[in-house]
Amino acid sequence: MIAEAARSLRISQVGLRGVVGAGGLTAAHVMDFASAFGTFLEPGRCVIVGRDPRASGVMLREGVVAALLACGRDVVDLGIAPSPVIQHTIRRMDAAGGISIGASHNAAEWNALKFFGRNAIYLSTAEANELLDIYHLKKFSFVEWNRLGSLMIDQDSLDPYLDQLAAVFDFDALHKFRVVVDCCSGTSSVILRRLNECFGFNFILINEKMRGVAFAHEPATNKDMVSLQLAPLMQPLGADVGFLFDADSDRVAFATEDGGAISEEMVLPLLADYLLPRVAGKLVITNVSTTALVDEVAARHGGEVVRAAVGRQAAIDALSTYRPEQIALAGEGTGAIMMPQFRFVYDGIASMLALLSMMREQGRKLSEIVGWYPRYSILKGQVPLVTHRIPALLASLREHYADGRPSVVDGLRIDWPGRWFHVRVSQTEPVVRIICEQRGDPPRDLYETLIERVRSFA
Amino acid sequence: MPRREHLLKIGVSGIRGVVGEFLTPALAASFAQAFGTYVGGGRVVLGRDTRPSGEMLTHAVACGLLAAGCEVVETGILPTPTIQIYVDATHAQGGIAVTASHNPPEYNALKLFNSQGLFFNNYERAELLDLYHQSNFRQASNEEISRVITDHGSAPRLHFEKVLQHVDAERIRNRKFRVALDAVNGAGAVTTPGFLRDVLGCDLVAISVDPTKIFPREAEPKAETLGEIAALVPESHREIGFAQDPDGDRLAVIDEHGTVLDNDDVLALAVDAALRRLPGDVVVNLTTSSVIDDVAAAHGRRVYRTPVGEANVVETMQAVNAVIGGEGSNGGIIFPSVHLCRDSYTGMAFLLDRMAETGETISALAARLPKYYRYYGKVAFEHGRLGPLMQSLEARFPSAQKDRADGLKLFLPEGWIHVRSSNTEPLLRVAAEAKSRETVDALYTEVLRLFNG
Repeated sequence: MIAEAARSLRISQVGLRGVVGAGGLTAAHVMDFASAFGTFLEPGRCVIVGRDPRASGVMLREGVVAALLACGRDVVDLGIAPSPVIQHTIRRMDAAGGISIGASHNAAEWNALKFFGRNAIYLSTAEANELLDIYHLKKFSFVEWNRLGSLMIDQDSLDPYLDQLAAVFDFDALHKFRVVVDCCSGTSSVILRRLNECFGFNFILINEKMRGVAFAHEPATNKDMVSLQLAPLMQPLGADVGFLFDADSDRVAFATEDGGAISEEMVLPLLADYLLPRVAGKLVITNVSTTALVDEVAARHGGEVVRAAVGRQAAIDALSTYRPEQIALAGEGTGAIMMPQFRFVYDGIASMLALLSMMREQGRKLSEIVGWYPRYSILKGQVPLVTHRIPALLASLREHYADGRPSVVDGLRIDWPGRWFHVRVSQTEPVVRIICEQRGDPPRDLYETLIERVRSFA
Repeated sequence: MPRREHLLKIGVSGIRGVVGEFLTPALAASFAQAFGTYVGGGRVVLGRDTRPSGEMLTHAVACGLLAAGCEVVETGILPTPTIQIYVDATHAQGGIAVTASHNPPEYNALKLFNSQGLFFNNYERAELLDLYHQSNFRQASNEEISRVITDHGSAPRLHFEKVLQHVDAERIRNRKFRVALDAVNGAGAVTTPGFLRDVLGCDLVAISVDPTKIFPREAEPKAETLGEIAALVPESHREIGFAQDPDGDRLAVIDEHGTVLDNDDVLALAVDAALRRLPGDVVVNLTTSSVIDDVAAAHGRRVYRTPVGEANVVETMQAVNAVIGGEGSNGGIIFPSVHLCRDSYTGMAFLLDRMAETGETISALAARLPKYYRYYGKVAFEHGRLGPLMQSLEARFPSAQKDRADGLKLFLPEGWIHVRSSNTEPLLRVAAEAKSRETVDALYTEVLRLFNG
């Protein structure tokens, strides 16, 4: 499906996103937003810029570079680079921040600017609000003609990033795995090819040619995409495991050796199981819509799950309220995971290496590892929304399900032993999202009743 | 400090201003996007002079061009005429030079060229300006967005080959001229030393040829600003000295004694060189010296006069198929057989060729021109003052022949007077010329008296 540019534009706390072209994301938006970022950052230090392979990335890059130079910033351009590499470089060069140009899991005609601050982490809500205010005021701190920044090209940012991975993971022990990776025309191929060449990995890459216009398929890291694109290749290629990355390599989904497509919800519980006994932190930070399996896994290791509202912004804010050493990992059911070893950067490559390390330690097939966990079944749906009746809807649900344990972090979540539901308003579409989960079989009765109740308010 | 409204100018001449608070990257990008929309996409050449803001603005312009669906050929630092010739030779849809020409370093601007590498004519400029204000630009989708190609090498060669077709390069090289150059650390710093030393075989002493440094003198090449090169020429026993402006379209010449030649005389020498080689007429602006008429008359050619401004001269040159043209006071020599643009390189080659051909010094060649005395002055402008001044001038000289194409020019038996408002600055420009110093002083004083009275 070709997305229409008109009405696709979103300017919010998470940055600037839209379909490039008339009525959507234009050069003027890019220029103003990057000028706002150059104005917002603390003075003096350079800014790191990189992009994914979308054709429009060249246009966005020129605008971002011009705006930052005009704000007196020295700019280091990494060219086409995965987001985790951009974030690693921000820290390595002690930069003021960075911009990742790319629309992650969206189709090729989209693009976006993602902003990182001094610590290479996404901006907090307070910072993002300040950036938005500067953008809307359009009063930018352009410097005088003789104090403009200059541009440097850095094509060697990958190796220091890989060295950081090598310091955490035992690369030599992971060579033996035969791994199929669907790069989905995105940036992960840059890293994986280097891992093959320099560290003797055995990654078999498909859709590895980076493409600017039509991606091999939509770069969405979910179970449907895995079963469609990746899972059928597992047995024919004799692979031990398969991974699928989004365009900027911050998310990952996977398939087992027997051709099973695993839910994206499984990435977080698996990595929690692997990491909790190995790190000092005991907290798993996630959102209220993520599977309860993660609670069960955490409890087994004496860990604790902290659930914030859905969305990247809430996760970033939640992270900042704990000391780093308290945290074991943070992530979402979308397959986007942050680990303390990598200072809380959403990093699909690191997530993949952690999963491979787990397979090596357990010495079992991936399908056996996954099959060992208790089965949880999730049902998801949505209902069109009538905004002014949302409070009444939530109050009525809370009253009706008074026997459960309520949470109002984001909409309403009600928990019972072994099952829960969550009803919330989507941040991206005019719908109410309904999600319910049960240990064992799908909670069909609960789901259908909920849909009916929500509809009665539509 | 100029008044605030003059720190940014967006008009039929394009966009120009002080970089920072006034000329912002967003303005440059949207003007470039309007340009890309106007030329209808396709390949657009993008080059710049050495101003510190050039790099930033180049990225902004590239952003706007890409957003309009253009393919960008980025040439890096090049003289403006070289960029224009490259646009034409490579069959691009258009070109943009990021340069404020002779303006001070805090200024920058966009010079816009059509597919032949020519400045847009007045009608095209007005259309482009309307398009800019309507903001209804072509917005390329992901599939329509092209790329940036860099070509930092081939353009100067194309330019120099064209120049060499119109001089006897062998006889210039054989003379091994001792030449001095002041490239004002501008775009000429990148290409002119190679042109003089390697292409024309000169023994070169060059100053201000570091493109990474700021302009060491006022950017406009005129007698008051060229003290350093004027001293260098006799000190280092040079036969001639050349000085360029930051984007290499304007030329000033210093003779072997260290005297900065009058720019009108330099143009006259170039006109003479061109008329010796090719048939055709001459076009200059109203303010250019009558020496051009004398030179043209000696060859039996006609001189057409236009309002001041390169675009006006070029438009008339096209209309009458002129062999050469230019604007005396600002050091612009336009020789269409190379390209219909101001080109300091053609000027340098013509003068060296004439020196080689005649065996004479540059001062001797200049001395052979009819002698005129001129005065170019400027007074602070107030709106509404030009009209009354023109009326009182006409009343004062009732029998003079008049030209009202650009302000007022009065042709008198003893010389001429020209008053006009500047296109680029809040100034009233006053010019006068006569056969003697006393006469020109009298004419100029009379204009000021009428203006103040």
